[in-house]
Amino acid sequence: MNTHLKTATLGLALALSGCATIISGSRQDVHINSYPKEARVAINEIDMGPTPLQQKLKRNQEYTLLLELEGYEPYITTLKKKFNAWYLGNVLIGGLIGLVVDPITGAMYQLKPEEIDGQSKEGTSYTMDNGTLYLTISMEVDPNWEQVGQLQRKP
Amino acid sequence: MRYAFLFFSVVITFGITGCSPKLASHVSNPLTSLTPDEPVAFLDVEHQLPDDLIKVGSLRFQDSGFSTDCSFNSLLNKARIEARKNGANIVKVTDTKKPDLWSSCYRLKIDLYRYNGDVAKLKQYELKLD
Repeated sequence: MNTHLKTATLGLALALSGCATIISGSRQDVHINSYPKEARVAINEIDMGPTPLQQKLKRNQEYTLLLELEGYEPYITTLKKKFNAWYLGNVLIGGLIGLVVDPITGAMYQLKPEEIDGQSKEGTSYTMDNGTLYLTISMEVDPNWEQVGQLQRKP
Repeated sequence: MRYAFLFFSVVITFGITGCSPKLASHVSNPLTSLTPDEPVAFLDVEHQLPDDLIKVGSLRFQDSGFSTDCSFNSLLNKARIEARKNGANIVKVTDTKKPDLWSSCYRLKIDLYRYNGDVAKLKQYELKLD
C-alpha cells in the first residue's frame, strides 16, 4: 500500500510538472566573475557582495547587474529571459499540463546576458554549462584615475 | 495537427505576453528623467510621505491572466524603472492586494512623486531579491 501510494504520488508529481520544470527547475544558477576580481555586484540595485559570486535567480524575471570597482568604470548589463529549448520537450513527454506549468514556474525561460545586434555587449563573455550561466565581465580602467605610485612588498 | 496548433498557440501567447503583469500608467506631470545612479525610495502603505512633493503620476499593476513575474519586489522594481523614466524619486504604494484564490499575483496601486530632499533619509521599504 505504501509503495502504491509513493508510486502514485511520484506519478502525479511528474504528470503535473512540465518538461522544462523537471529538467531545469524554476531557478537558474548564475556565476558572476570579473577581471579584475573583487568588483562589487548589485543585482536590481541590491548589493550582493564582491566577485566571484554565485546566485540562484528566478528564470521568469529580468535582472539589472551593476559592477563597481575603484579605479574602473561602472559596468551595467541586463540578464534577459530567453526561450529554454527544454520547453519543446512537452511535445514528447510533458503534454498539455507541461505547456501550462513551465511558463508558470518560469522554467520555459533561461537567463542570458543582453545582446546588441546578436553580439554580447562589449566586456561581457559567457558560457552555459548544464543550464548554469557563467558570466565574466572585463572592467575598463577609469581614465579619470591616475596612478601615482605602486607599493612593492619587501623581499 | 490540432495538438501542434495548440502547442504553438501557447508558445506564441506566452512569448508575446512574456508573462508580464498588466501595467496601467497615468503620468500627469512628467519631469526630466533620472539617471540610474539617482536613488528612488519605496514607501509601502504604512510609510509616511514627506511634505513638499510634486505628484508625477500613478501606476496600477494587474494580473494579465498570464502573469507569472508579479511578486511584490518584482513589481516595485518595474515601478522604479517607470519612476526614473518620468523623473520621480518616490514610489509610494497606496493599495496592495496579495495573491489569493483568484490570482497568484500581487496587484498594486502606486503613486509617483518627486521629492527635492534626500530620499535616503526617508523611512522606506527595502527591496529584496526573490
